[in-house]
Amino acid sequence: MNAIEARELKKSFNGVAAVNGVSFSVREGEVFGFLGPNGAGKTTTIRMLVGLLKPDGGKAFIMGYDVIKNPIEARELIGVVPEESNPYPDLSAWDNLRLVGMLYALPGKEIRERGMSLLKLLGIEEVKDRKVRGFSKGMKQKLLIAMALIGGPRVLFLDEPTSGLDVFSVRKIHELISELSREGVTVFLTTHNVEEAGAICDRVAIIDKGRIVAMGSPDELKIKTGGYLYLSVVFDREVGGDVKEILGDYEFKLGGRKLLVVCKEPGEVIGRIVDYARAKGLKIERVRTSEPSMAEVFMRIVGAK
Amino acid sequence: MMDFKFARRVWGICYKDIKVYYMKGPIVLMGVIFPLFLWIAFYAGRGFGVREGIPSLLIMTLFFTSSSVTPVIPPWETRQKTLEMLLTRPVTITTVLAGDMAASTLFGLIFSIPPVVIGMLMGAFPNNPAYLVGMILLTSLGFSAMGMIFSALPTDIPADVILLANTIKLPLIFVSGVLIPLDKMPSWAMPIALVSPLTYPADFFKWLYFGGYFDMGLDASITVIMVLILMLVAVKLHRRTIFSRLQR
Repeated sequence: MNAIEARELKKSFNGVAAVNGVSFSVREGEVFGFLGPNGAGKTTTIRMLVGLLKPDGGKAFIMGYDVIKNPIEARELIGVVPEESNPYPDLSAWDNLRLVGMLYALPGKEIRERGMSLLKLLGIEEVKDRKVRGFSKGMKQKLLIAMALIGGPRVLFLDEPTSGLDVFSVRKIHELISELSREGVTVFLTTHNVEEAGAICDRVAIIDKGRIVAMGSPDELKIKTGGYLYLSVVFDREVGGDVKEILGDYEFKLGGRKLLVVCKEPGEVIGRIVDYARAKGLKIERVRTSEPSMAEVFMRIVGAK
Repeated sequence: MMDFKFARRVWGICYKDIKVYYMKGPIVLMGVIFPLFLWIAFYAGRGFGVREGIPSLLIMTLFFTSSSVTPVIPPWETRQKTLEMLLTRPVTITTVLAGDMAASTLFGLIFSIPPVVIGMLMGAFPNNPAYLVGMILLTSLGFSAMGMIFSALPTDIPADVILLANTIKLPLIFVSGVLIPLDKMPSWAMPIALVSPLTYPADFFKWLYFGGYFDMGLDASITVIMVLILMLVAVKLHRRTIFSRLQR
């Protein structure tokens, strides 16, 4: 059974389609990244998946439960850290956690045990009796994650969980996501940070203008975008613009002594560059090939549509 | 099992409301001072006995406490982005409303104690204490539901709801036999009095202290029906507006 299933989800606001026929499924225990530029439809999709928005068309299922027809059964299995939500500022961290534990109908003893271990895990146990009003963004985010986990979810939705956090908090959250995945929890992650998604997700889907434009593992997406590599060459002195003649249709960038070429077969391009260097009396100091980053893959996919 | 879960969730929301909204100085003062001053303004120097005055003070206290905070909670929580946090948990809007109404009913119950005790200290005893407690509970629940109806307006600006609530609530006090007895009410106001949710519990309280206008059984029956209608309407309206509220 799929942990999450979206079938032809559609949602419009004032006649403008925010999500236009989105379909995908996420397997149990998978870390699934949902990427897209601003306004692409990420948050609208996640809100439909957790039952906060009623789709204009299509259906969403959590562990087989229709989120509109069986909202309680579906939500009992999920934990959510929505991008646009807050803990109660006038309650302490502990009272917020306790409230959510009660909403999952957990007995008091279980709330105390799970709550304390989550606060410890996230490093906020010392501020548990302080009102949330005075919390930093990082502390608030950690509390929201604790609140999402107290019900022991099988599916965890994280909407921009690391946005605006320092590197230590980001690392802690990444470690937690990996640990949860190892325990069999499905993680659905939306993020602006494309590199983050590439590093921690098993699969990613890219949404643009309300439609899924690419889906697969980060490596598959790199291949799908052409399987190209970056060839970086450093010469001993500045290179002239005539290098363009030997590179033909290849996409390249020239900056002083450095030449960057986007290509599928670097061997063939290196041959051309060596010939060029010989002809011009240039010395090649360094040659390096690298895979494109996830950000570059993302830009190519979204930019191409 | 389902009932235990529902009760636990309702209590969670009720407890949150008490801590966040009701245990605040200004709210507590509002619950005591506003009905008391309005009552004094009407009754002082007009030669009414304590027995005639206590039922009015009681119904006004219940009205201004039980329906005072519930209109504000949904718009306030929409603005604070805490409603969204709540609704991603295993609760429906009905559970949230039940929790909000439970807290508000409790608030009304507690604040109904001073008028009753003041009356007893001044020699005004209800002729049936069990009926009194039952009607206080029922009325408080009904006014809480009434407050929830106002809050179904899908806005995140509490002032919008307060304005709507006060526009309806304040005139109701004057046309429901609370301050002006029903037999002295102008004829044009009577049709409004007959459909007002204040009229029948107010009349019932009067029966418990000195004597009312309608039949006591009729007062109780219509109050039960009105409470059920108010609760049903509150739930229906919120179900209808919840998604547009969350789109804000």
